[in-house]
Amino acid sequence: MSASLGTLLTVPFERPYLTRALIELLLLGGVAGIVGVFVLLRRLAFLADALTHTVFPGVVIGFLVSGQHGIFPGALVIGCLTATLFTGLAATRRVAEDATLAILLTGFFAVGVVLVSRRSSYTSDLTAFLFGRVLTVSDGDIVTTAVVTGAVVVLLAALRKELLLVAFDPQAAQAAGYRVIALDLALNLSIALVVVAAVRAVGTVLVIALIVVPAAAARLLSDRLLVVTVLAAVFGMASGWIGLLVSYQVSVDHGIRLATGATVVLVLVAGYLLALAATAARARSRRTAPDALAGSATRPALAGEATGPAAPSAPEAPARAAPRGPVR
Amino acid sequence: MSPSSATGADALVLADATVAYGRVAALERVSGRVPAGRTVALIGPNGAGKSTLIKAILGLVPVVSGAITVLGQAPAKARREVGYVPQADTLDADFPVSVAQVVLMGRYRRIGWVRRPGAEDRAVAAAALDTVGLAHRAKERFGTLSGGQRQRVLLARAIAASPRLLLLDEPFNGVDAVSQDALLAALAKLTAGGTAVVISTHDLALAHLACDDVCLLNRHQFAFGPPAATLTPELLRATYGGAAVELGAHGVLVARP
Amino acid sequence: MTLWDTLGDGYTRRALTEAVLVGLLCGAVGVHVVLRRLSFLTVALTHATFPGVVLAELLGAPLVLGSAVFGLAVVAVVALVAGARGGSGGALPTAEPGGRGGRDVSSVTGVVLSGGFALGVALMSAQEGFSKDLAAFLVGSILTVGVPDLLVTAVTAAVVLGLLAALRKELLLGAFDPTALAAGGYPARRLDLVVLVALELTVVTTVPAVGTIMAIALVVGPAATARLWCARTGPMTALAMALGAFAGVVGLAVSAQWDVAAGGAIVLVVSAFFTGSLLLAPWLRGSARPALAAGQRG
Repeated sequence: MSASLGTLLTVPFERPYLTRALIELLLLGGVAGIVGVFVLLRRLAFLADALTHTVFPGVVIGFLVSGQHGIFPGALVIGCLTATLFTGLAATRRVAEDATLAILLTGFFAVGVVLVSRRSSYTSDLTAFLFGRVLTVSDGDIVTTAVVTGAVVVLLAALRKELLLVAFDPQAAQAAGYRVIALDLALNLSIALVVVAAVRAVGTVLVIALIVVPAAAARLLSDRLLVVTVLAAVFGMASGWIGLLVSYQVSVDHGIRLATGATVVLVLVAGYLLALAATAARARSRRTAPDALAGSATRPALAGEATGPAAPSAPEAPARAAPRGPVR
Repeated sequence: MSPSSATGADALVLADATVAYGRVAALERVSGRVPAGRTVALIGPNGAGKSTLIKAILGLVPVVSGAITVLGQAPAKARREVGYVPQADTLDADFPVSVAQVVLMGRYRRIGWVRRPGAEDRAVAAAALDTVGLAHRAKERFGTLSGGQRQRVLLARAIAASPRLLLLDEPFNGVDAVSQDALLAALAKLTAGGTAVVISTHDLALAHLACDDVCLLNRHQFAFGPPAATLTPELLRATYGGAAVELGAHGVLVARP
Repeated sequence: MTLWDTLGDGYTRRALTEAVLVGLLCGAVGVHVVLRRLSFLTVALTHATFPGVVLAELLGAPLVLGSAVFGLAVVAVVALVAGARGGSGGALPTAEPGGRGGRDVSSVTGVVLSGGFALGVALMSAQEGFSKDLAAFLVGSILTVGVPDLLVTAVTAAVVLGLLAALRKELLLGAFDPTALAAGGYPARRLDLVVLVALELTVVTTVPAVGTIMAIALVVGPAATARLWCARTGPMTALAMALGAFAGVVGLAVSAQWDVAAGGAIVLVVSAFFTGSLLLAPWLRGSARPALAAGQRG
């Protein structure tokens, strides 16, 4: 590419449609990164993925009812419904939770597929729903995204210490008098809102990447919740920017059409791999240090993470240092 | 305890063994001997390394210095004749498996790969289940039993393999009195038949009652010997870091884990 | 026009045969997926094999080969980074921990799933005919399976079912009590990998024929449904296989009758069986020992 780095970064501002796409991606990347941290803490990646699939029939129904403008409301209604349904199911614990999610996910998605298949122009609509068309977002879409994003961030910020407590020790939270179900519902609805907001831009399939990957990468790099949250948001936004840039440049310079949403996800995954490599390198350098007390496999648990009962390096050494007895 | 005369009769020999996960030593310099038909209690607070020692005897955690000899061999080689009874609450209570099937699992190694359990296997499993007093629950789903009953089933599973050394990891935790008696009765039958038993526990009274020797552990060994000599206030205080409670002329009865 | 009317057609017969074979295979494998909580991994496998399919098509290679290669890569990556067990599956909040930090199973699975799929989409968008192939990948085209596809499915079913049957007691112990498996001297990790490889083989052969969504539904659905009715793994496996095959046939009939996508119809039948069982099973079995219901934590 002939342009210098500085010029590259400002490319999106050359055209209005690119600028809009950029703003949309920044908003989504930021909020998805933040929500992703909570998804990570509570190991809800599969739930988030399931929500992205269940939103699909809502998108289809909304589209069938009132065209492009129906997509958001349709997705919103179904998203909130399924978030509530999942929260309720989790509370009853009837079947293996992950199997239930898989079945619900496929069932809802199939409803969407069946509805779509009754039209003749089946396949291109499917693609748009699944992958979004970020280059065609309008100002109205941006406003909607901004409102949803703002609402989610405010909600999570207000509830952050309660959500942290529930993530770390749900029984203690219950014992302390918190309504765990209500907090679960709040979190699940936040996830659903982010998914719904992202439908137009990146489509249902790639949203899961925006949610899971930045937080996972950020967690590899830090143990402090605040740092992880900030890193996740920054990473989400940066990947949006770079992804947009790359897919645009590639199409301009080389004439290859790379779907924007997919490119953003690839940038995210590349970032995760870099973080993974950095962690491995750090662990290896620590391993060669002659310090017998620092276990190479140990990572201090982030406040809010449950640690495995069988984890060999679990930090449960007796608080009272055992005095060396006379008899060995 | 006088050292046993023939090492050939020892089910387990710990010779200054140090056990480690990676670079962190979990347990240092443990020594002791368990002859056939004898019972040893591993006593120490949480995190002391009792479970780790049991896993090392099974060959699941490496010994970085010293040696552990099981039935005259390296731990990993002796597994066929070593029985292991974990804590029952580590298992999924919803799992679709019956009590009889769980006990039969103890025979798998003997049955071998691919082959199905035969009549003899089922008979041995039934006898093992009877030893712990739960033959009447054989067909029920494992998860429908109480915690103590599940613990007994896991003991039956280990017994079905006819082990010469039996390792139990905190088998009496949260177990009701009936099940506790049943467990002790079954263990007594086993030791009478020559099986050596190692039990990790917090229950000092039980150790006094049921065990021939006690090993006090907290990251390293504080004592190894008969209960009278080892379950003394001083040693217990040293092991538990000052948290033991004294009751009565016979010394301590309770220690805070 | 009903399914019965078209039975004379080759394509109907082939579709039926494929549906039955896939149903049997997925039902049996699904039992292990449900018991070991590998549902999320299954979703990831189906999605992450997509780039393999695209590459195979680009190179003119058999689709199954492409997805097999990528499927193995997925299994290897997840097993390496996060361990060869499903953990809590990252589904709904539970107290069971899996791995640590950004390396726990559900996060790694999420990364692999989205990365793999995005790669496939990127590759695909770079060439023509984007939309059409994608739809086929997601929802399959069971009505257009050819005899070679049937052969592949049949051989895979024979191999996988044979393997699962031969190792059934060891795999049962491994799912129930992995520490006892290791303590017994079995190669525990390798046995876990056997399950993952069996799953991977199932996914890579069925996805090109029936699509990702249907593959997931057929693997998880019948087994989870069977779990609601059976308290032993033997009957559970038999019922899961039967339900899988049956759902395929009923779904095809529905699809022919009401002119809807076959893949979608089959999945909806599976969901209906499951939902019906969720509602009926506790009621119908309630008179028997109530503690046999699935969700109780003893």
